[in-house]
Amino acid sequence: MSLNIKQLSIIYRDGSHSIQALEEVSLTLVPGECLALVGESGSGKTTLGNACMGLLPSNALMEGKISLNGRRIDNLDESALNEIRWNRIAMVFQNGAANLNPAYRIVDQVAEPLIQRGLLSRRDANAKACEALEQMGVFDEHHYFYPHQLSGGQIQRVLLAMAMILEPEVIILDEPTSSLDPLSKIFISDVIIRLKSNKMSVILITHDLEIAVSLAESVSILYLGQIMEILPAKDLLSKPLHPYTLALGRSYPTMTTARDLGGIKGDAFYRLVHQHGRLDQEKYKHTHIQVAGSSHKNGHAPPAGCLFQKRCAQAIDRCLTEPLTLENIDGHQVRCLRQGIASLLKLNGVSKKYNELIALHPTDLSLKCGEIFCLVGETGSGKTTLAMIAAGMLKPESGKRTFDGRDMDKWARQEYQSLARRIGVIYQNPAESISPRFSVLEAVAEPLKIHNKDNTTKEVYERVSEILAKVRLSTDHSFLERYPHELNMGAIQRVCMARALILNPSLLVADEPTSSLDPSVQAKVLKLILDLQIELGLSVLFITHNIGLARKIGDRIGVMLAGCLVEVGPASMVLSSPIHPYTRLLIDSVSGKAGSSLKPISNVVGGKGCPFASRCPRPKDICLEKKPEIMEINHCRVRCHFPLY
Amino acid sequence: MTNNSTHFSSRRLGLVITFGLTALAMLYLSYSLPRLLPGDFVTAMYASSQVTLTAEQEAELRAYYTEEPGFCSYLLRLFTLDWGYSYAFLTPVSVLFLEALPWTMLLLGAAHIISMSLGFITGVEASWRHGSRIEKGMVGGMTFLEGIPEISTGIILLLLFALNLQWFPAVGAETAYAEVSLLTRLADIGLHLTLPLATLVLAYLPGNFLLTRNSMIMVIREPFVTTARAKGLPALRIRYSHAARNALLPLVTRFGLRLAFMITGVLVVERIHSYPGLGTLLFNAIQARDLPVIQAVVLISSLMVLTIILILEMLYRIIDPRIDYVR
Repeated sequence: MSLNIKQLSIIYRDGSHSIQALEEVSLTLVPGECLALVGESGSGKTTLGNACMGLLPSNALMEGKISLNGRRIDNLDESALNEIRWNRIAMVFQNGAANLNPAYRIVDQVAEPLIQRGLLSRRDANAKACEALEQMGVFDEHHYFYPHQLSGGQIQRVLLAMAMILEPEVIILDEPTSSLDPLSKIFISDVIIRLKSNKMSVILITHDLEIAVSLAESVSILYLGQIMEILPAKDLLSKPLHPYTLALGRSYPTMTTARDLGGIKGDAFYRLVHQHGRLDQEKYKHTHIQVAGSSHKNGHAPPAGCLFQKRCAQAIDRCLTEPLTLENIDGHQVRCLRQGIASLLKLNGVSKKYNELIALHPTDLSLKCGEIFCLVGETGSGKTTLAMIAAGMLKPESGKRTFDGRDMDKWARQEYQSLARRIGVIYQNPAESISPRFSVLEAVAEPLKIHNKDNTTKEVYERVSEILAKVRLSTDHSFLERYPHELNMGAIQRVCMARALILNPSLLVADEPTSSLDPSVQAKVLKLILDLQIELGLSVLFITHNIGLARKIGDRIGVMLAGCLVEVGPASMVLSSPIHPYTRLLIDSVSGKAGSSLKPISNVVGGKGCPFASRCPRPKDICLEKKPEIMEINHCRVRCHFPLY
Repeated sequence: MTNNSTHFSSRRLGLVITFGLTALAMLYLSYSLPRLLPGDFVTAMYASSQVTLTAEQEAELRAYYTEEPGFCSYLLRLFTLDWGYSYAFLTPVSVLFLEALPWTMLLLGAAHIISMSLGFITGVEASWRHGSRIEKGMVGGMTFLEGIPEISTGIILLLLFALNLQWFPAVGAETAYAEVSLLTRLADIGLHLTLPLATLVLAYLPGNFLLTRNSMIMVIREPFVTTARAKGLPALRIRYSHAARNALLPLVTRFGLRLAFMITGVLVVERIHSYPGLGTLLFNAIQARDLPVIQAVVLISSLMVLTIILILEMLYRIIDPRIDYVR
């Protein structure tokens, strides 16, 4: 190993309060490998880089060890540090041009370390610097320019050339690509690949997730100075385990994700440490840490538990209090009480039969916290049946249901109310799902009255106004007094949504919630659902026949056909490269490419073979004989004998 | 590239033309302004004397002394070093001027060099120790010094070192009528120079110090200083080549501004210490309404200031290459 960081904690003292920049960060860097540090601004990424260079300001208190090839480098004096700086560890700082002295020509600045260390004469050093610049793609005529005469991309190359002039073992790149165009980015990543092949270790500080995926071997996710997750880079976008990693991925625009960017609710805050002074592990560990938002004095209660808890979609009460450590889960190291992203709902082999009609073949479905799952499929494919089973409104013939870690059937039998409170349902036909004799106020307040009996009228009124405002409805007294027949369809739909959300459920089952809306209202409602997902951490089971809609809103998509889930996978994958021919057909039909000779599908008991066989463009014998089993291809689960891939 | 360089040189040409026009305006002012002074040589000369002039004589004298040469012939004479005769000293003005100039140059030059370099170095070092007790003490002390006018420092120094302790001579630039070897003469000049020089240095130093420190404090926060540290460069190189180099500009500007007060600045100090420089010459000339001397001193010193400012303007571009890009 080349660079080893062990239990590194850094506190910045600032007058009477101190800010915790890093807490017990341990990382190991192997020669020829790239480690990416990812996190929002203020998460301590740059502090970590500066600590490795011995460049922390004088108000920083440091604890822990940093060693380079087994030798400690965190406690060296200035002259010993100068031996290491640039020679062994070099850094490309962020903000480009500001890192170059405006008064000197770039070649002089690149050559400077060589000359000042007495390694080469001025002339040889300049020649070597020119060569280094040339290698980085800075051409002859620019070598004698001043920094202000170069563009941002060229500056980045100059900085890289400067960092590599002494051929260090470790190179720290702080946001090397953040201000670059895609083509310059490719150049920089080529350079990093070259560095790696030269057995240099690279620490890549970035918020560009795709760069991290393509260049790094492993990724450390930092949040407020704590490592939240260490994961193999290839899993960063496709298989994150920590909710924060997931949320970062959701906020990052890629060419593959079609849904709107989510963002993360709330803001990162400073971590204040009260009672500055010694870095006494026992003393400052959690008990004196104060988390503050904008004002220093009115900090929130000290979170003994998870730092991300306030912004997390799946936080439970215990997250606030129980201390956490990094745990090994599935090859990732995750700091999460709930062992990573939790499943909210799990259906195992649930099925439903109405007399002779099989509405649902045994089906597995799982829904994670804060996830939007879209069920698409044509009429009669069993979407609503599956949704009602998921909502606990319909009892499945067979199979097992788990909600938030508890057996749903048992829960429903014992105390149905507490289960029902967790699940909000929007029914398919909004106008019919509200009693015509209830005013808006009564309709929306009804769940509140059932579940919280001791609310005063005023509290109920306030809560109803609040939730109506959230779904962008009027909170006028006159509006609250109206009856369903006085409202238009869009308003009724949103009243239904308000009713479903008034108890702050964790799961929203929405059966075609926008099918009767005009496009502008539909867009608003969808935006609302996305906002609520971010704000409340809501999980949504969204049923629609509109695959374009699913594309805009879903994290994952499940395609249903004749009571079977034939394809399940991340929305982007299912839609861009469908594996099941039926999915292909659905997509084609939306884009107007499908033929018109479609036969109906039979759901009758005893039907053998693949339900899609009759319509499949290329059925084989086996398709008529045998029902296909579930196959796992490329993050997707698919039920087809001859998948398209 | 070629395009750029012609662009620069044309800009430089514009600069020179601007300065030339300014110089011309100054020439005209120097020609016309002294004539607007109230009173004249004749009044100043004979007002206090026992001689009583008849009205006729007075008119004749006045006509002689207020002769109008015309601007063109004034210019012509200026360039041939024919600056007229001093009314009061009865010597050519150029002689008087050239006698006084070296003393002022010596005093002013030494004062500026010492106060600039001392102020710069102390400023850089203080800012490097930003927040320490030493720095705070220095800032306090310098601010205090800045508040004392040079007339007070001059008199205090004179009282203390010339009158009480008698370490230094109180008047003149050298001991008169002493036939001595060069070395002794130099030592003598140095001895005479010490007090006025110290007064001027004490007057200029605090400003230079405070300015350097303030601009350094801004510069040492710049990322490129951190980069220099990261590169493992020697401490002095970081401090001076990287940080201080970029903090130099305000100091140079201040130097240029200070020059504008060149003559008036030394006037007070030269008067206190009776130093035979341009300031003293100007003071005496004004008292005597000695028009040719006033004209020459004011004009030549202002032209010198203008030239130095022009040089500084060119120097800026070397100190900070970005200036060429500012439009």
